[in-house]
Amino acid sequence: MKAIIASCLSLACLAAAAPTTAEAQYSGAPRTFLFNPALDVCIRDTAKFKKAPPYVIGFANAGLGDSWRVVGLHSLEKAAHDHADVVKKLLITDAGHDDAKQVADIQDLVSRGVDLLIVSANTSQALDPAVTQVTERGIPVVMVDRRVDSDNFVTFVTASDAMMGRLFAQWIVEKLNGKGNVIILGGQAGSSPNENRVKPAMQVFGAYPGIKILDTVYSDWSPVKGKQVMQAMIAKHGHNINAVFAPHGLQVPGAIEAFLEAGWKGNEIPPITSADMNGPMKMAIKYKFPLLDIDYPPAMMGVALDVALKVLAGASVPCVYTINSNIVLTHGDETPSIPHPDMYVEKHVVPDGPDDMLVSGGMGPDYNPSTFKIDFPH
Amino acid sequence: MTGAANLRIEMPWLLRNNAGLAGVLVLIALVCLVGAAASDRFLSFNNFLNVFEQTTDLALVSIGQTLTILAGGIDLSVGSLISLTSCLTSGLINNNPDRVVVVVIAVLVLGTAVGCVNASLVVALRVHPLIVTLGMGAVLQGVTLLYALGPVGRVPRGFNFLAYGRVYGLPLGATLAVLLCILIALLLRYLPLGRQVYALGDDANSARLVGLRRTRILMLVYGTSGFCCAATGLYLAARFGVGQPYTGVNYTLASITPVVLGGTLLSGGKGGVVGTLFGAFLIALLNNLLNFMDVSKHYQLVAQAVIIILAVSVYVERRRTM
Repeated sequence: MKAIIASCLSLACLAAAAPTTAEAQYSGAPRTFLFNPALDVCIRDTAKFKKAPPYVIGFANAGLGDSWRVVGLHSLEKAAHDHADVVKKLLITDAGHDDAKQVADIQDLVSRGVDLLIVSANTSQALDPAVTQVTERGIPVVMVDRRVDSDNFVTFVTASDAMMGRLFAQWIVEKLNGKGNVIILGGQAGSSPNENRVKPAMQVFGAYPGIKILDTVYSDWSPVKGKQVMQAMIAKHGHNINAVFAPHGLQVPGAIEAFLEAGWKGNEIPPITSADMNGPMKMAIKYKFPLLDIDYPPAMMGVALDVALKVLAGASVPCVYTINSNIVLTHGDETPSIPHPDMYVEKHVVPDGPDDMLVSGGMGPDYNPSTFKIDFPH
Repeated sequence: MTGAANLRIEMPWLLRNNAGLAGVLVLIALVCLVGAAASDRFLSFNNFLNVFEQTTDLALVSIGQTLTILAGGIDLSVGSLISLTSCLTSGLINNNPDRVVVVVIAVLVLGTAVGCVNASLVVALRVHPLIVTLGMGAVLQGVTLLYALGPVGRVPRGFNFLAYGRVYGLPLGATLAVLLCILIALLLRYLPLGRQVYALGDDANSARLVGLRRTRILMLVYGTSGFCCAATGLYLAARFGVGQPYTGVNYTLASITPVVLGGTLLSGGKGGVVGTLFGAFLIALLNNLLNFMDVSKHYQLVAQAVIIILAVSVYVERRRTM
């Protein structure tokens, strides 16, 4: 019980210590943890991993394919910089979204003598045997953002994909009064962030017979492709499109541009969902269309290093380490399930920031991913 | 007789007859020197075993590719065949340990059969192997996607031993690849059919005039290549725990690099599988070194390409002057 309380307190402390962006964000313990109806939660005892600093920590990254992952990596480097007193080296590999390379990277990091390994798995099944091998060798593994299928690791640092998917869908249902046509503007087909948000959303939509899914299209998390596929959807369905479900904000600016270029007036753009990105919020303010943003903060990669240090200090940690997601809404678009957002878009947006800026990166207002450089031990 | 010629006589027959092998060994030594300067762990025995293990997949597929190139052909269906066999292994076993033996045998037979079909088409249609195997690759990739659009099935935990297990301290998969390489090297050297592979690759017309049976030779080399692809597919299914429809896509071109690095002529007739094995080891060692030096993935691709082009061009230049 003590372990559970200590872990919960540590969650709250981490949340409170999280850096702010444009405005103060929700800083309590994760609601997905607080609202979890289970009487007991899985807590991992890490006493056997306790060792004295300094530590060599490895990070086997799936790749750097989009701006979310770039900010996430910077967040990790910043965390290593902040903990330079106990982190001797942070060794980083980039698999370029290639399973075979990531398996070799993991083996190379082990060969280089890491005390703990942080892994963001390219695919959940193919990396499972390699991660399991590392765990069986007695090296603690902390997963972040993307996990492997088995539970053969210490903890998984993530935000709640399921909560995002359900709340996005519920908001759309309530905005449409239970009747209307929805386009699913997916990210990368088969990737865990896409599937783990779309699947719970489809369960919500399925409970409302008046909701019809017109089409499911994929943008590969790219605003350019997001625009192309949405142009095709507008050509096919026209004004029959009543809402757009996007499991993240990376592709959303392109979709909004498609509506505008097709001649839709700003306030005719249907309710649309987003996450993390500055661009959709700027556009929602300018064109006055309904937008729900639920963050999936790349700052979780920095949190993964904090959690890694807890593991090496022998502190108990939750088996799934869910970090906060801010709920951000446009004015006048409250629904029964979201009567009061954490903040309105005007408080979350960075008006002078670029469209592709991730407002939930926890990197501070002066952060620029193109010029970011930090001295971290490596 | 010059001093250099005396030295040449004292060299082991493997190096004397295969200058490419000597070249690849020199490159391995160079990489080791740089690695030793980069990290004191690079030359550790554990890291050697790590690199040895990472050589397995590329070594297996490249050994088969060496034979097709030695015989004056090429096999561009290897990537698709690896994807297909990997998916079939995982999909048919589907986490049932009782099916492992049957599926492994069936997959190896299938791979060999596909290779023999390649050879038959080359002979029957009188079309260059490049076109036949390219077409076969497209067919196999289509069949793979008809079977599985995404990750399919699962292999039992024990099957992972093929990829991650150690026998007498040595990685099982890599050790099997070395044994296969030695077996094929001996067959090529001591069996008449093996020597005929060189003869066909060196001069197909002369080989025909002296009565060599081209069909039998091509069946041997493409069948072996298919077998090696199936073995690679089995290994990858063990390494990833699951078959994936595009898992072999990178191996089609990648399989040619160790062959060239190991000193086998792309025009055929000269070279051998031992050089290829060391060529695959060199590539795995180079990747390992770049990771030790914290070189990002993007620079790794550039560095690998530059080193391979330089190495091959130096080798070609040296051969011209011999």
